[in-house]
Amino acid sequence: MIPYAEALAALRRAGGAYPMRDDGLAVAELLQRHHPDNIGGKPVPLAVGVNAGMLCQPEVAALLQTNALIDDVDIAGAETLNTDILVIGGGGAGCAAALTAAGEGARVILATKLLLGDSNTVMAEGGIQAAVGEDDSPQRHFEDTYTAGHRAADRDLVAQMALDGPDAIRWLIKLGMAFDTVEDRPFGGSLKRKTPGGATAPRILSYRDFTGLEMMRVLREAVGLHRGVQVMDRCPAVELLSDDRGGCVGAVVYSLEHHRFVLVRARRTILATGGSGRLHLNGFPTSNHYGATADGLVLAYRMGAKLREMDSYQYHPTGIAHPAHLAGGLISEAARSEGAKLVNGLGERFVDELKPRDVVASAILRECAEGRGVARDGQAGVFLDVPGLVREKPDVLASTLVSLAHLAAKCRIDPTEEPMIVYPTLHYQNGGVAIDGSGRASVPGLFCVGEVSGGIHGRNRMMGNALLDIISFGRRAGAKAAESATEPYASRAGIGHIHDWQRQLTLAGLPLDARGPHVFPAYGNFDLAADARLTARRAAAQGGRR
Amino acid sequence: MSDDKVSLVIEGREVEAPSTASIIQAYSASGGQLVTNVGCMGQGVCGSCRCMVRREGSRDVTMELACETPVEAGMQVAFVSYFQPKRPHVYDLETLTGGWQILDAIDEVFPQAKSCRHCGGCDRACPRGLDVQKGVEYAVQGDVLAAKDVFSECIMCNLCTLACPERIRPNHLGLFVRRALAALTLRPVELMRRLRQIESGALTVDTSTVDAPRQERRP
Ligand SMILES: Cc1cc2nc3c(=O)[nH]c(=O)nc-3n(C[C@H](O)[C@H](O)[C@H](O)COP(=O)(O)OP(=O)(O)OC[C@H]3O[C@@H](n4cnc5c(N)ncnc54)[C@H](O)[C@@H]3O)c2cc1C
Ligand code: SF4
Ligand code: SF4
Ligand code: FES
Repeated sequence: MIPYAEALAALRRAGGAYPMRDDGLAVAELLQRHHPDNIGGKPVPLAVGVNAGMLCQPEVAALLQTNALIDDVDIAGAETLNTDILVIGGGGAGCAAALTAAGEGARVILATKLLLGDSNTVMAEGGIQAAVGEDDSPQRHFEDTYTAGHRAADRDLVAQMALDGPDAIRWLIKLGMAFDTVEDRPFGGSLKRKTPGGATAPRILSYRDFTGLEMMRVLREAVGLHRGVQVMDRCPAVELLSDDRGGCVGAVVYSLEHHRFVLVRARRTILATGGSGRLHLNGFPTSNHYGATADGLVLAYRMGAKLREMDSYQYHPTGIAHPAHLAGGLISEAARSEGAKLVNGLGERFVDELKPRDVVASAILRECAEGRGVARDGQAGVFLDVPGLVREKPDVLASTLVSLAHLAAKCRIDPTEEPMIVYPTLHYQNGGVAIDGSGRASVPGLFCVGEVSGGIHGRNRMMGNALLDIISFGRRAGAKAAESATEPYASRAGIGHIHDWQRQLTLAGLPLDARGPHVFPAYGNFDLAADARLTARRAAAQGGRR
Repeated sequence: MSDDKVSLVIEGREVEAPSTASIIQAYSASGGQLVTNVGCMGQGVCGSCRCMVRREGSRDVTMELACETPVEAGMQVAFVSYFQPKRPHVYDLETLTGGWQILDAIDEVFPQAKSCRHCGGCDRACPRGLDVQKGVEYAVQGDVLAAKDVFSECIMCNLCTLACPERIRPNHLGLFVRRALAALTLRPVELMRRLRQIESGALTVDTSTVDAPRQERRP
């Protein structure tokens, strides 16, 4: 690794004319040797559940194969609420589903772990894809997405999403979301479009460089004002409820405010709990919000929902590496789209910056692994040459990369003089719960939408497709689920399915004392059993029985 | 990175942390239970980590975002866990069918806005440094485009709402104006054309143009 001062001198000497280093590795080989999915903990086959034998990242496999956090006695006598639709998760996908279902007349409860809107959605910067341009088409959108995902996605899901794109944008505008237009002419004007890495036409629509914030504040307000939706903030789901045939009929949520469990019985349950960046796979930092701990994935799998592509994660190439306390924070792809170069400690470029994210991230990891990275205060990475970009486009920070300027200030550097140091950051869960075109999982009564679901992005997601996915599938799931509003409730609702699950774990020789989901990262210092005083309650229940 | 440690008080707990840590990092590293007052954790866009900060030697209390504010020696920090009152400003954008009603609508949904007493409480409370008071004034006067711009970077932390003695809820007023403007005026021409092509069935997607799904898995 090359010390910062020396690397900086090399960068300045080159003065923008960086030679391109070529190690001759084919893309497949580069990914094989350097992508975090393939180094560090190698994928392992799942030992129990519907996907037994499927390859999965080892830390995720361990979490999927945990015992439930609660037992029957813990929820005996708990308050029960009844609703038509239970939505779990208050990000973009959950809000889109809740608004649509309530719009169809269903009664909806939306339970979320933090406050409504605290999510990955609010953090999205770059934008949302929709094929609206004359030079573009849903067909191209479909083909680009499928190819970028290494042809692993479900083609019908991708095609449906591409065709949904324009209507998703109209729906968001009707709710009051603004989009950037060319020449500030709203009526009859044109939407501003940018080209995401891997696309054949400009297709990213945005609101400045905080598209997710604009989307989320509109959705949050719309949900908050809708009479058909009851929001339960600070109520993470800790287990799903099953009927006697194994279908999903609601969830057990834990009220962090009142330190007690509530059973929410529903005709249909929509899981929209988002991703898993806060698992910090392979020790990586993450760009994700604090609640991204894969809870939904764990609960759905335990109940028998099929998963897919669980060995595939997206590491965004340009996470902050220095200073350490901001590590993992995202520098938007927009910086590279604008022309910022990646430079190693020797003052060389080493990859075409606009290649797909998995390729660029692997190339950065290769530079660091082979000693050509930049070391500063114990942190390693490569340079993102923002000063070089500013020399070429002097007003770029003020006009387009507003959030980058804000970020540089937080790093306490002058971005016109000093390069940023970047290192890949765990960004997106490519796979997830397998769904059909309405977001239905393989368990009756259960829908999964948004980052928790799989099959849309294959093994690599394009920029802008996640925000489209959450609106497209969120709305479809909400509408489909609302059709059930006249059905009778299941006669039983309990957590009987965990007994069968515990038997499977025991048969496979797995321990019963490892429990999940995590609900919060380890540094949240949260222990559900202690917080809910489960031990005391269990002892009391034991005593009562004797 | 310097190894300087500083001590401060967060939520009544004496905490030691490296001088480069943010308030929220210092709190969790010291063993504090972190299950609320946190969302994006560092990006400064969700507003959930709002807190009151008093710095050593100062009598002023400032409103800040704990995930973005570095710790300082002698700081005193208390989180503002503030829950919104139930939907006081009820409106339905779909009933706003034309731009002509927007002034009446503002007055109807936010009747308190016209009695702003220009105390500046909202401006002082805003961790984003927005001109909140001006934004309210623009909205009341019907200068909706100016109001929309003032609130463009608002993260809906609700601190201005908490600070306002007239119960104006400035950020919700700002968002109302922004939503109404987009819903009433944003009609991009190529979007309208594309929607017609899709809805008439003239444009579809043919999934057979790409090869079948790859069967082999990366090892
Ligand atoms: C920094 C960043 C930038 C990004 N930029 C872009 C971009 O420019 N374009 C793009 O298309 N995509 C982008 N993405 C990806 C995209 O934002 C997300 O994939 C998408 O928003 C996920 O939406 P969601 O609704 O599925 O999940 P989220 O928005 O994460 O919402 C999940 C919700 O569920 C809650 N939850 C979690 N567990 C539980 C539980 N047990 N019980 C109850 N609630 C629970 C969470 O707290 C959260 O509120 C970005 C992501 C990040 C992190
Ligand atoms: S305007 Fe109000 S809600 Fe918006 S950021 Fe400022 S204080 Fe927070
Ligand atoms: S706090 Fe309320 S009354 Fe005071 S200036 Fe702001 S909007 Fe007006
Ligand atoms: S945690 Fe989101 S603004 Fe601080």
